Amino acid sequence: MIRLPTTIEAALEHSTTHDVRAGGTDIQERRNHGRRRRPVLDLRDIPGLDKIERDGEGLKIGARVRLAELAEDPWVRERYPALAKGAASLGNPQIRAVATLGGNLLQAPRCAYYRDPEVQCLKSGGSECWARQGDHLWHVCFATRPCIAPHASTMGMVLAAYDATVSVAGGAARSVEELYDIGDTLRDHTLDEGVLLTHINLPRPWSAEQGAYMRATSRARAEWALVEVVVRLRLDRWESIVDARVAVGAVANTPLRLREVERLLIGNVVNEPLFVAAGEKATEGAQPLEDTAYKVELLRASVFDALNAAVVSPPSPLIDAPDEDGSEGESKGPAK
Amino acid sequence: MSTGTTRRGFLRGTALITVGGGVAASGCKTTALESEGTHAPAVEAEGTSVDTVPLECEVNGQKEALRVGGDRLALDVLRDDLELRGAKRSCGHGACGACTVQVDGRPVVSCLMPAVALHGRSVTTVEGLAKGSDGLHPVQRAFIGEDALQCGFCTSGFVVESAAFYDRWRKEKGTAVPSDEEIAEALSGHLCRCGAYLSIYRAVAAACRGDYDEPGGEGPRYEARDKVTGAAQYTVDVALPQMAHAKILRSPYAAAELRSLDWSAALDVPGVLGVVELLNAPASVRYVGQEILAIAAETEEIAARALSAVELDWRIKNHVLSIEAATAEDAPVVFPRGEARRSPANHSEGPALPMVWRGNVRGPGKLFSHRRGLARWTGRDGNHKAEVQGRYRTQTQVHTCLEPHACVARWGTSGGLEVWMSTQAVRHMAEDLAERFGLKVSEVEVHADHIGGGFGSKATLRPEAIAAVELARVTLRPVRLVLDRREEMTVAGLRPQVRTDLRAALGKADDLAIKARAYGDGGAAIGSATTPLMRIMYPQSRLDLQDFDVTTNTPPGCPFRGPGGPSAFFALESSIDELAHTTGDDPIELRRRWNQNDARRRVYDWAEALPAWKDRSEPQHDRGRYRRGVGLSAAVWLYLTMPGSRVKLDAGPGGIVVSTATQDIGTGTRSLLADVVASGLGIERSRVTVEIGSSRAVHGPMSAGSRTASTVGPAAEDALRLLKEELLEVAQTKLRMRRAWAVPEGVRDSVRFLSWAELLDESPVITVVGKRRRDRGGFFAPPIDGLAVGRYLSAAVQVSQVEVDILLGKVRVLQSWTGLSVGRIYNPLLARSQVEGGLIQGMSYALYEERRLDPRRGFLVTAGLEDYRIAGIGDCGPIHVEFIPGGFENVEGGGVGIGELSTLTPLPTIANAVWHATGWRPRRMPLRPDRVLEGLNS
Ligand SMILES: Cc1cc2nc3c(=O)[nH]c(=O)nc-3n(C[C@H](O)[C@H](O)[C@H](O)COP(=O)(O)OP(=O)(O)OC[C@H]3O[C@@H](n4cnc5c(N)ncnc54)[C@H](O)[C@@H]3O)c2cc1C
Ligand code: FES
Ligand code: FES
Repeated sequence: MIRLPTTIEAALEHSTTHDVRAGGTDIQERRNHGRRRRPVLDLRDIPGLDKIERDGEGLKIGARVRLAELAEDPWVRERYPALAKGAASLGNPQIRAVATLGGNLLQAPRCAYYRDPEVQCLKSGGSECWARQGDHLWHVCFATRPCIAPHASTMGMVLAAYDATVSVAGGAARSVEELYDIGDTLRDHTLDEGVLLTHINLPRPWSAEQGAYMRATSRARAEWALVEVVVRLRLDRWESIVDARVAVGAVANTPLRLREVERLLIGNVVNEPLFVAAGEKATEGAQPLEDTAYKVELLRASVFDALNAAVVSPPSPLIDAPDEDGSEGESKGPAK
Repeated sequence: MSTGTTRRGFLRGTALITVGGGVAASGCKTTALESEGTHAPAVEAEGTSVDTVPLECEVNGQKEALRVGGDRLALDVLRDDLELRGAKRSCGHGACGACTVQVDGRPVVSCLMPAVALHGRSVTTVEGLAKGSDGLHPVQRAFIGEDALQCGFCTSGFVVESAAFYDRWRKEKGTAVPSDEEIAEALSGHLCRCGAYLSIYRAVAAACRGDYDEPGGEGPRYEARDKVTGAAQYTVDVALPQMAHAKILRSPYAAAELRSLDWSAALDVPGVLGVVELLNAPASVRYVGQEILAIAAETEEIAARALSAVELDWRIKNHVLSIEAATAEDAPVVFPRGEARRSPANHSEGPALPMVWRGNVRGPGKLFSHRRGLARWTGRDGNHKAEVQGRYRTQTQVHTCLEPHACVARWGTSGGLEVWMSTQAVRHMAEDLAERFGLKVSEVEVHADHIGGGFGSKATLRPEAIAAVELARVTLRPVRLVLDRREEMTVAGLRPQVRTDLRAALGKADDLAIKARAYGDGGAAIGSATTPLMRIMYPQSRLDLQDFDVTTNTPPGCPFRGPGGPSAFFALESSIDELAHTTGDDPIELRRRWNQNDARRRVYDWAEALPAWKDRSEPQHDRGRYRRGVGLSAAVWLYLTMPGSRVKLDAGPGGIVVSTATQDIGTGTRSLLADVVASGLGIERSRVTVEIGSSRAVHGPMSAGSRTASTVGPAAEDALRLLKEELLEVAQTKLRMRRAWAVPEGVRDSVRFLSWAELLDESPVITVVGKRRRDRGGFFAPPIDGLAVGRYLSAAVQVSQVEVDILLGKVRVLQSWTGLSVGRIYNPLLARSQVEGGLIQGMSYALYEERRLDPRRGFLVTAGLEDYRIAGIGDCGPIHVEFIPGGFENVEGGGVGIGELSTLTPLPTIANAVWHATGWRPRRMPLRPDRVLEGLNS
């Protein structure tokens, strides 16, 4: 059974009883193995969700924009370099050509137990977390919630570092951080069943952003990250960090924005000890499982690497406008 | 439990007893397909829920209008509805790239992309890429020319992706040459289990450079064109009229007794056609995934659904999942005393000798010890230079063929059986099927045109094939059974994990003594063969060797490219390296002192002169974050052949047909046969047709144990010899050259010369059958079951340069050099491809691959290609391969196998290089980041 609604309103009428599908790269994998069996509500024919538009000073990205388009969009590459890099690095080219940004944010975890149709885990109606007792080599090192599967979304992590918000049909708009503020629940995000993500909104780009995206893997390419990091920096003429955003993924049940690390960086001059300290700070609060302590080490090194990569990456164009409109979130200027 | 007759026919038990009469097709017509087909979509209006929706798109330039359901995937529509079977389903979840097609010029993952997403778009598959007058895209020509493929199962995906890359590159950058990095990035979503990556780099670069812009030119591989155009047919591509689809029900428990089994409800599911039990209840299961029964239905989906209607009553037993658990006091026993102990499968290439069992432990096998008493003594007497010891562990490796195990079976009306099987042994399968089903071998035909990888896992008659054949008999319909990726990774074949304790001592007179105890865990199978290879490598030394099997409640192992080799040489060659560094001896020099073998001498000579080795830095030279090191190790392998195998030639003015009952699993057997015949007669290869892949031809070898080339090569040459004799006679009689004699290029008499080609044009069709003869001097072991062990050993040395990132725990092989002494090489380009593949598989095993089971219940965690990690193109740096000439003069044909030899050295070479770089000696594979970090911190 399939529905192809042509308006958001028509879609909302059935979205609670159907499996919403965008690119399908996540939901089909689960459906193919019988993990999900409801009729399909495919967003293919709803207009307006597949565009990247300049919106005032910021950017409005339709939920159905494909990751490859995002990664290749000239404006995104120029003004939001870390976003483009993140979108260009996840999965592989054939996946990025099909997967959408909205689907990426709302995808289910890649825990092998959760994906195994024969296993009932906490998230699939069972009473225990199989991974915690069993194989969890690739699971979280911030084991603070009942489910220890790492959050799968690279873009969720990147967008958290961009202070992005999401527009929701049938529900309230919210920041990406709020999207993942799931508390102690077993949810993947805070959107209620049946609501639809329509757009992702980015604030005005930074002037002279230097962004980097890094992932630690065992193979060279196309592997799920063991740890992933996004960094955005703004430096002044004296190499002092004027503004910073740091977020990490694959280490916790949701993407983590590391505000403490940002605070540590802002106002300081770029140098190696600072980045070492930032790497160290990033691991604060880690609660590794029996087999995931190595991820703490990878996190330390990856944050260090990402910061180093950011400071040598070409800055995005200068924007003349003053800084004080608050579009850059709470951290403004040197905190000296 | 259901017994007796039902409306539909069925078959019970693997013993092939038909219970009840009615093996009838008439009762089987309740097909879900038909009911689905007649189900007109309720309403067509947009946004309403319907079963199917219209799909209009352009495929390879042609407009298509179809209807598709919600869960149909782009790949299903292309393969099943449009019969474009170039794109393959291999992983089914976006990780391997075999299903890649272009949508509006962009490569997409068609195994996850919903079919409805193709609406209004333009699709290009491998079949539709062609641009040139030769029907080929420049990238396809380059793949042919550079031999960028082996089994070919991944090839369509790589070609489609590379073509998109090429089209874009040429538009933007002209004939500039992309870097390896750029190519690796573009192809990062593709996996090739055969390890054809280096020639893929070469092919894409050459195509971009413009080397293949014009049609023309031939590649080294006979069937390459079929593989780059998607025309090659694999078992999974076989579609017969009226074909039914089967699925297997498997044990969810690692150890249990099946008290009863009732599948009557499953049989009543509409669309189900028949059931066959693969395990007789009451019966024990020994691992998760063990086959219980199979159901054939109109569609795979119905069959899968019907499986859940089977009622099972289990008594769950305690299980053991690891060597440690299996060898503990009071451990539950996997194969209890008695009948059961005769049932475990054998994962070695040799016969399983009778041995003592103690609980789950079988052994020791100590036949290969040598001067054992002395070995025990060396190192104890204080009279030695150095002693090292360690516990080495190698992990379970899964064959991971990109084409899953698959079988399509059809019974003829007159009782004959025709089977398409993804197998390394068409002839043996026909014999086994004949025996099993009470037929004459001549009544069975097994086809395997192309096989998407085997590596040892497709050489026996397996349950899925038996199930397909039995179901085909019961349902009177052709039945197709293809394992899905999870099944493939669970039960379709694995290399046992091995724990080896090894102590090596060097006496004052540089004599070597080794004590080794190897415990091989091949799950519910036996055949541990790690230490015998130590004897073969250092035969003169004092060797106290014992091998044990440890059986566990995990899926059974089967032979895997060089069985026992990686574990043996990892422990052995790491220890030798350690000894050398302890005493300050040169590692090659030390090995030389124990050597009396010519092949090894040749590879040692070669390695000693290698700049990468000679000019290596001091150990632990680098102090920074990235540390480089160079490691070396050597290996030997047995040479097997099948004397008595035959090759037939049908030669005449129309060309030559070469045939034998063998198959090409990507190793180049077709090409070898074509080349031997063409070059032997001085004719164009295009005049030679190779017909293999059917059991009906004259007796040929299986493609396993590196035996194919050394078997069919000499047999083809023998056939040529016979053909030339016949042609000479044609000249003497028909062409009146009564005193003619043969010269290499043809025949001559005092007046004229006729080339073989000219003679063929004049000759009637001549049929000759050549035979693989005995080697001069005979064999080491005379043929058992047709397989002989030759008197000569092949040898290899590998030197690798690695880089270790000590912060991220990442090991990369930057470059490697391998010298092999195997005698004559039939086709250097193809041989190089195969060696590169073996080396890449070994590297992949050393660094990434690891089958992981749930430690409590024993089911598979690494069930997909995202989690079971095989090396990708970006992991492969340059590999230099050198075939060192010389030796093997007494071997018929002058050359021995390379397939297994090439996969033995990477583990110890990489481990030794990591030690050289960091001072940490790895003793446990794979070198995952967590292990490397732990090792470096310790
Ligand atoms: C081999 C492989 C590697 C991968 N590596 C990475 C990686 O490194 N990083 C990473 O982040 N991801 C990775 N992915 C995952 C991939 O990025 C996601 O599957 C993809 O982004 C999901 O997008 P989609 O459009 O296909 O979503 P779908 O499968 O269509 O949907 C995903 C989920 O979101 C819901 N949904 C989608 N759109 C909406 C909407 N507009 N409103 C409400 N609900 C909606 C669906 O109901 C479903 O639950 C990988 C995937 C594969 C197969
Ligand atoms: S089959 Fe589609 S990616 Fe493997
Ligand atoms: S040629 Fe690539 S998988 Fe065999």
